[in-house]
Amino acid sequence: MVARVLIAEDEANIAELLQFLLQREGYETQMVFDGSAALAAAREAVPDAVVLDAMLPNLSGYEVLKALRADASLKAVPVLMLTAKGQDKDRKLAEDLGVNAFITKPFANNDVIACVARLLGEYRT
Amino acid sequence: MALGSVPIGFRIKERRRSHGITQAGMARDLGISPSYLNLIEANKRTIGGRLLNDIARILDMDLNALTGQAQRQLVADLVEAVGDPGIRQLGIAGDSVPEFVGRFPGWAEALRNTLRTSHAQAEAIEALSSRVSQDPELSDALYKIITHVTTIRSTAEILESSGDVPPETRTRFEGIVAEETARLADTAQAIVRYFDRPDSDQHPATPIEEVDDYFIGNGNYFAPLETAASELRAVLRGYGAALDTALSAYLVEKHGINVEVQASSGADLALFHNQSRYIADQRRLIFLDNAALSSQRFQIAQMAASLFAADAIAEQAAAGAFSSEVSLLRAKRALAAYTAGACLFPYESFLADAEKLRYDVEQLRQRYSGSYEQIAHRLVTLRRPGAEGVPFGFLRADPAGFLSKRFPLPGLPVPRSGAGCPLWAIYGVFQTPGRIVRQLVEFPSRARFLLIARTVTKDPARFHEEPFLRAVMLVCDAIHADRTVYADGMDVSSRQLTVPVGPGCRLCTRTDCLHRAEDAILAR
Repeated sequence: MVARVLIAEDEANIAELLQFLLQREGYETQMVFDGSAALAAAREAVPDAVVLDAMLPNLSGYEVLKALRADASLKAVPVLMLTAKGQDKDRKLAEDLGVNAFITKPFANNDVIACVARLLGEYRT
Repeated sequence: MALGSVPIGFRIKERRRSHGITQAGMARDLGISPSYLNLIEANKRTIGGRLLNDIARILDMDLNALTGQAQRQLVADLVEAVGDPGIRQLGIAGDSVPEFVGRFPGWAEALRNTLRTSHAQAEAIEALSSRVSQDPELSDALYKIITHVTTIRSTAEILESSGDVPPETRTRFEGIVAEETARLADTAQAIVRYFDRPDSDQHPATPIEEVDDYFIGNGNYFAPLETAASELRAVLRGYGAALDTALSAYLVEKHGINVEVQASSGADLALFHNQSRYIADQRRLIFLDNAALSSQRFQIAQMAASLFAADAIAEQAAAGAFSSEVSLLRAKRALAAYTAGACLFPYESFLADAEKLRYDVEQLRQRYSGSYEQIAHRLVTLRRPGAEGVPFGFLRADPAGFLSKRFPLPGLPVPRSGAGCPLWAIYGVFQTPGRIVRQLVEFPSRARFLLIARTVTKDPARFHEEPFLRAVMLVCDAIHADRTVYADGMDVSSRQLTVPVGPGCRLCTRTDCLHRAEDAILAR
């Protein structure tokens, strides 16, 4: 079955690029542009992985992550967090909240693709 | 040879040679043997008295210059410099400094001056770096740059590496590159405009800002002062079981300072600050009778702390390298107040209670007999590494909008001076004095915070005076909101509840705000 990746990114151009990259790898994708929508989409249909921007409107990526981990049906979904802030404290906060991977912007496309593939591989085994 | 003294022999030898006097000739004039003079010049004999005076006379030198008295400070400065990380790694021994100064006084002075300049520049860079890293305008601009660069990089990689991009997608992606490049250029120009601002905009830090910056730089936590406060509490136990009476008894018995209360009617109010005054030569701490008990208690504790922990406070203040005496004095007062807070609200028990009561300020103030502002302020200082509370920011505003106290959080943009965003609860709360108002807000950077605001009142001294209202506000990241009572019954994820705010009009990048009072410096 084709893996489904939820992309939560408020910068429309970056979201579109991520969608292109992941679809080219054969994944199904869904784009949302704010934190509340990300949480709603995940609750409506559990994704196989989430690519989550840290600084989303309405709910930050960190809050979305916290909510995912608190939800029994979503807590195992792997999350790759993308952020423009690569400071140790940001990484630590994400790790404390249960992030699976953390990539700092500007990212290399191959890093994102490889990371999503790894998370899906681990999640499905 | 003492570390601070410069060997005299080198100076005698240098001076003798520069005057063209032979060792034998000078020994003869002094009435000593050439071999003895040789020992003196090799620093193997100590001299003094008449012989020292004769040498100074023959070499035409001032006695202080000859003995090296004038160079002691130079030696002390360089010995201190040997401990600097950059020099320490060279393995230079401190006890070689006097010889260096003695042999090469000019070079030694040049080195000292260079090191001083280097230190001053390092401090200036640190101060600028700190200012830049906290500047909301630059922070916002840098965030945009990273976003644009991310898009351009990612698109360029796709366009460069893929032969399988359909023509219409390729056209679309080329459009994205053009669009993001134009936005990047706009942001870059905005940054240039930011730095091109007239010098009149670059205000030097005021004493208030300087002290605030120092506290912020220390994460609002001072371990040595927490220790001093614990020690003070231990001492106070010897003066009675009740903290209030023990503090007064300590001041009287240990420092001869009497605490008194004076009727406010008829008092010369100009002599009072915060409804109290201290007459140093009479050792009297006087409160007006309308001063709140919590305020009296805190000020008595501050007086006790400033005396008990004087050394720790002075050491901590000295580390701030303040630019003026006014700033230094202000810092010492603030550090004494910190110590008083740590004494009245001891770290471990206060943190445990705060967690248990879920940071309910009202319950904490009842338990600790503190004012709302004192308790709120103490919550901000719960930053001990390994035993941290919820990270809170703290602001205090007067009805004119001026922010008189500001302890921001990372990601919470607060203007360095003047007023903040008129939409913040700290301003709205003046409409409902005495009531706590909570507000969920989102900044243009997407950062979301829970604001908890309340007015605090200074009671009037008499009927004809107006009570003075100020507002204080705690701020915590929305991610921590559920650890506090202030998120109870509130759907923190609700879009409807979230108020879009900014850091203040001049710094705000929102274009759709109906409440904008002036243009932003850095337009989106």
